[in-house]
Amino acid sequence: MRNRDFSFWLFLTPVILSLSLVVIVPFFYGFVYSFTNWNGIHATEFLGIKNYLGLYKDAEFRSAIWFTTKVAIVSVILLNFLGLGLALLVTQKMRTSSLMRTIFFMPNLIGGLILGFIWQFIFISVFGSIGDKFGVEALTGWLSTTKTGFWGIVILTAWQMAGYIMIIYIAYLESIPKDLIEAAEIDGANSFQRFRNITFPLVAPAFTISMFLTLSNSFQIYDQNLSLTDGGPYNSTQMVAMSIVKTAFTENKMAYAQSQAVIFFIIVAIVAITQVYYNKKREVDL
Amino acid sequence: MQPLARKIKVTFWPLLFFKTFMQPFALDEKERSTMKKKSLASIVSMFLVAILVLAGCSSSNEGGSSGKSSKDQVTIDIFQFKVEVKDELENLVKVYEKENPDVKINVKTVGGGNDYGASLKAAFSSGDEPAIFNIGGPSDVEEHRAHLADLSDTDSAGIAFEGTLDTVTDGEEILGLPFNQEGYGFVYNTRIFEEAGVNPEDIKTFEDLEKAVTKIDSQKEDLGLEAVIALAGKEKWVMGNHLANIFFATEFDNSSLVAYESDTIAFEKSNELKRHLDLENKYSAQPVLSLDYSQQVEELFSLERVAMIQQGNWIYNSVYDMDPDLAENGIDLLPIPVEGYEGKIPAGVPMYWAVNSNKDDEVVEASKAFLDWMYTSDTGKTAVLEDFKFVPAYEGYDAEKIADPLSQTIYEYASAGNTIAGWVYNGSPAGWSQEVLGAGMQKYLSGDVEWDDMIDNAREKWEAERK
Repeated sequence: MRNRDFSFWLFLTPVILSLSLVVIVPFFYGFVYSFTNWNGIHATEFLGIKNYLGLYKDAEFRSAIWFTTKVAIVSVILLNFLGLGLALLVTQKMRTSSLMRTIFFMPNLIGGLILGFIWQFIFISVFGSIGDKFGVEALTGWLSTTKTGFWGIVILTAWQMAGYIMIIYIAYLESIPKDLIEAAEIDGANSFQRFRNITFPLVAPAFTISMFLTLSNSFQIYDQNLSLTDGGPYNSTQMVAMSIVKTAFTENKMAYAQSQAVIFFIIVAIVAITQVYYNKKREVDL
Repeated sequence: MQPLARKIKVTFWPLLFFKTFMQPFALDEKERSTMKKKSLASIVSMFLVAILVLAGCSSSNEGGSSGKSSKDQVTIDIFQFKVEVKDELENLVKVYEKENPDVKINVKTVGGGNDYGASLKAAFSSGDEPAIFNIGGPSDVEEHRAHLADLSDTDSAGIAFEGTLDTVTDGEEILGLPFNQEGYGFVYNTRIFEEAGVNPEDIKTFEDLEKAVTKIDSQKEDLGLEAVIALAGKEKWVMGNHLANIFFATEFDNSSLVAYESDTIAFEKSNELKRHLDLENKYSAQPVLSLDYSQQVEELFSLERVAMIQQGNWIYNSVYDMDPDLAENGIDLLPIPVEGYEGKIPAGVPMYWAVNSNKDDEVVEASKAFLDWMYTSDTGKTAVLEDFKFVPAYEGYDAEKIADPLSQTIYEYASAGNTIAGWVYNGSPAGWSQEVLGAGMQKYLSGDVEWDDMIDNAREKWEAERK
């Protein structure tokens, strides 16, 4: 690697430059601003940890964190379940499998904002009219209560991201050596045992990636939240990202919102690091 | 063969895709070493090209900055928020440029209330300051106070309706010129009212309203209605801003400035507000809490499935898109009956034009001249009425020429002095009216909180913000 000095850095420069300009530098700026009374134009006073103390007493922010956590837990489970399920389905020898892969992946290509509005129509109008016609109370009034709002967000996220997670699982499923499965078959393992003892441990690394992806993604849901429920009713389905944006731009408390963002960053970082650490330990090497 | 899983293990996931896709293109050692020599030259040349492109970008930026560009030409940068009139404003600017060859005007439009505020802040902190921009309530004035030019010597300021300038007046100085006026009340379907035998002019008090609503409700089936009213409970601004506003405006002498300086809010009419909200909720299409603006206006009102909605003149274009005939001939506006305000419509100025005092005097004067021209010259007036479809906030416009019946009604009320000047909720702590009061009213409608507790909580939040 003699040329590493020059071409290595040459190719890296654009990435490093843009990454530091739009991610790293603003991150530190934001961190500093969270200790001031910055209003978006100028900061006049250094407040110390006052913003963070206020955060501690902020019931709305706490409820947003709690709601986000709930959404994250449920959708991580649901997403990995669906993703692995779909991947198993489309790796079977079927004529339609590549068509199905495309179909399952498609929702991921539509922007979250649009999806939110489409699902809003489905939840409110389609569910509503089906419910009215067949007298199913549970299908009417969706998104008008906290509970239905919660499930609305979970369903939307699962539907959108399942195809993406499926792709990751497919990559791992297809890399499992056929001879292992064959050997197990000869030894008399039935299909469930083959899945439990061979397939499952071998796709463990995919869990790490998928869980990390789904977890951090569900924590950062914003556009789906905005277009589907807009936090309603009464901000009870407001997730952390949305709460931060609202505090900053609607209530005009830039520095305070920044301190929320710092706390949020710390929470997500801790969760993600712990999770990657444990999953890595569990991986099986061939 | 090493399995793929082993090789990539836990890498950053984009790498996973990259590696998978790039596998076929990978080079072996021999190829690689010959490549190295060849490609060094090409890398260097690519680098040079990249630098040239970047340099090209930055130099083209310089041409766009404001100030004096060539000789005596003055350049005015307008940064405005009303997306609906973007094209119309640009056309008007072209006419002005033709009449005044020494003035060059660039219009930049960024839509939506929130986005605009953030973009404007970004423009100012990056140094790329516009000459003319928009400001809203008193909090905007305070934030931008340092660079707001005095506009009291403009003609437009002289003919603005009384009260419309209150929020932008600081001592002798006038810091903004009203964009337009908007007003709200109950927008009703004239045909349904007639068929139900309800005379909108008789609705003066809450009791009258209740009577009218129950009367229509009893004939719901015959009239083909789903409900009498559609209350957009999902939109916090419909309840927290508009509805609540008329019930607490008196506490602050109808002035958002007084509200802006007030330490507390008494909510003297909180019971009347509750009574009114209950009425709207009871006779509304359900479920109220997921009913949004588009369902309210387009699905329910424009398709004549409800008789009335609490909205303002801005719904005209949406109704027009659904049913032009209904929009032109079948709707009108009626004041929300509140004690002490019988027969008055709350009309407010959503945004003001402001001129940046940091600019050269020349630019400031030219900016003022343009704004004056827009609101006082015949060409400008026609454009404001017919192209922008604004309800002017200025005297001396021909009400007949106003395009839609809702705006016409509002301009007539305004000319007769029958408007409550100012939307007082603009003076509440930032975000309070929607995020605290609006969300609180949603919570009340969902049955999760008692009305009085909700009001107390809203008052506490207001006081906490004003400490």
